[in-house]
Amino acid sequence: MDIFSFVNFFLLPGVVQGSIYALGAIGITLIYAIMRYGHFAHGDLATFGAFTALFVAGLLGLSPYAALPVAVVVAALLAIAIDWLFYAHLRRMPKIITTIASFGVALMLRSVVQIIWGVDTTSYTRGISRPENWFGIRVKPHELVTLLVVIGLVIALHLFLTRNKWGKAMRAMSDNPDLALLSGIDNNKVIAMTWVIAGGLCAASGFFLGLNTELRSLMGWNILLPTFAAAILGGVGRIEGAIVGGLVVGVTEELSVLVIPSEYKMLSSFAILLVVLLLRPTGLFRGKIL
Amino acid sequence: MSALLKMKSIRAGYGEADILYDVSMEVAEGEIVAIVGPNGAGKSTAMKSIFGLLNIRSGTITVGGRDITGWSPNRIVNAGVCYVPQVQNIFGEMTVHENFEMGAFLRKGDFSASLDRVYALFPDLKAKRKTIAGSLSGGQRQMVAMGRALMLDPKVLLLDEPTAGLSPKYMEQIFKICRDVRAAGVAILLVEQHAKQALAFSDRGYVLAAGRNRHEGSGPALLADRHIAEMFLGG
Ligand SMILES: Nc1ncnc2c1ncn2[C@@H]1O[C@H](COP(=O)(O)OP(=O)(O)OP(=O)(O)O)[C@@H](O)[C@H]1O
Ligand SMILES: [Mg+2]
Repeated sequence: MDIFSFVNFFLLPGVVQGSIYALGAIGITLIYAIMRYGHFAHGDLATFGAFTALFVAGLLGLSPYAALPVAVVVAALLAIAIDWLFYAHLRRMPKIITTIASFGVALMLRSVVQIIWGVDTTSYTRGISRPENWFGIRVKPHELVTLLVVIGLVIALHLFLTRNKWGKAMRAMSDNPDLALLSGIDNNKVIAMTWVIAGGLCAASGFFLGLNTELRSLMGWNILLPTFAAAILGGVGRIEGAIVGGLVVGVTEELSVLVIPSEYKMLSSFAILLVVLLLRPTGLFRGKIL
Repeated sequence: MSALLKMKSIRAGYGEADILYDVSMEVAEGEIVAIVGPNGAGKSTAMKSIFGLLNIRSGTITVGGRDITGWSPNRIVNAGVCYVPQVQNIFGEMTVHENFEMGAFLRKGDFSASLDRVYALFPDLKAKRKTIAGSLSGGQRQMVAMGRALMLDPKVLLLDEPTAGLSPKYMEQIFKICRDVRAAGVAILLVEQHAKQALAFSDRGYVLAAGRNRHEGSGPALLADRHIAEMFLGG
């Protein structure tokens, strides 16, 4: 295999898929850092975001790209509403209860998507997009957009967490929740902010998954395992870990087709998860233990 | 002498069990007051009860005459009482400077004057402002913890065992800083294991045992009492 086919057929698709996982994994990791539970409705929230973008684009006759910001806002608000309806009153109980509740929310979200948009496969655009050829590296326009937007979102999040007062408060609450409370940081506001960010990123991950593959009512559920694998591989609670973890899982999946049939791609995230949990449960960046 | 912070007949505990049965104390403006007593006496619990971190069954806590019993921590902080817990009292993954910024979280607008004052109290930390707080030495971490609590310019500072695990050199330094803080107009209530040293430099002290007040008096008077020294201060 020459370097160009490695980049074109394995590395690039892996990085694109990995950056989609990273968007979801950042949300998983943030929710764990602030609230200390695994959020299993994350995949189905992504599905909801993807279909919302489809709906808005169709309704207003927009390009799907223009519908993305709307879907991000809708998913962010939905995430806050879900927290308020289903998770808020469980906050003082053992965290496993909220984790199970999030399973229930996942099923509900999926049913809502299936009732509104059906169970058939669909896509944002018809026809096949041709890759641009840059000195032998072939990139499709939507792949390029995916990478640029993900990079933009990650930079924006980084600036928020390191420069903004509320972003720092979020890190403080993740670091030491009791001391955050004693410093006068309003936990409920930080929690709401966490849902806005996680919900928005979630919609973006669903959108880009739909853009690079297709839209199905199970699309988000199916990326839940690699998304969790990415968050755990990076170290739960570590944003930079979620990004690196996402990329590693994405590239590993693509490379795995060299040794296993491509229907079993998903096995590679399962294998990564298993190895990390057995050998280094705190992940690459020394996160918290799930 | 008017009481700035006053706990009156506090009965409190975690969950169902009571730990404090009847604890009363007060701190007046400009005072350093020490709480001493054996391990498990309820000293930390008494401080936590001021901050509403556990269930108060009866009794009242007032600040400057205003009843703050049952208030949320962020209202209490706003009322001028700041607290440095015994353990986990810094944001270990954030820089020294960010720790201080979080201390000033409730401040609207510019807080550079408080920041300057905190760095003046802890000059060693000025060079470490970009250092991750968790990587500092124990003594320096304690200073970060105190600095964070001072960022809101409190009227009363609660310190739970600020010298635990520190070398004698650092202990002296922390005590000196306490006096500087008091000189700047902040009253201090502190829990100390180094009971003799603490009483020697405090204005008054309380001896707590098994969730009740046992003795109280001026620092020197408690130290001079042979009975108390034998029972509670290690001879
Ligand atoms: N979070 C908690 N939940 C239940 N019981 C607790 C809790 N924290 C402390 N206790 C109990 O309350 C009692 C008093 O503890 P406290 O920490 O107030 O003692 P202390 O005087 O500060 O002791 P030390 O000198 O060891 O710090 C102890 O019996 C302890 O086991
Ligand atoms: Mg204690």
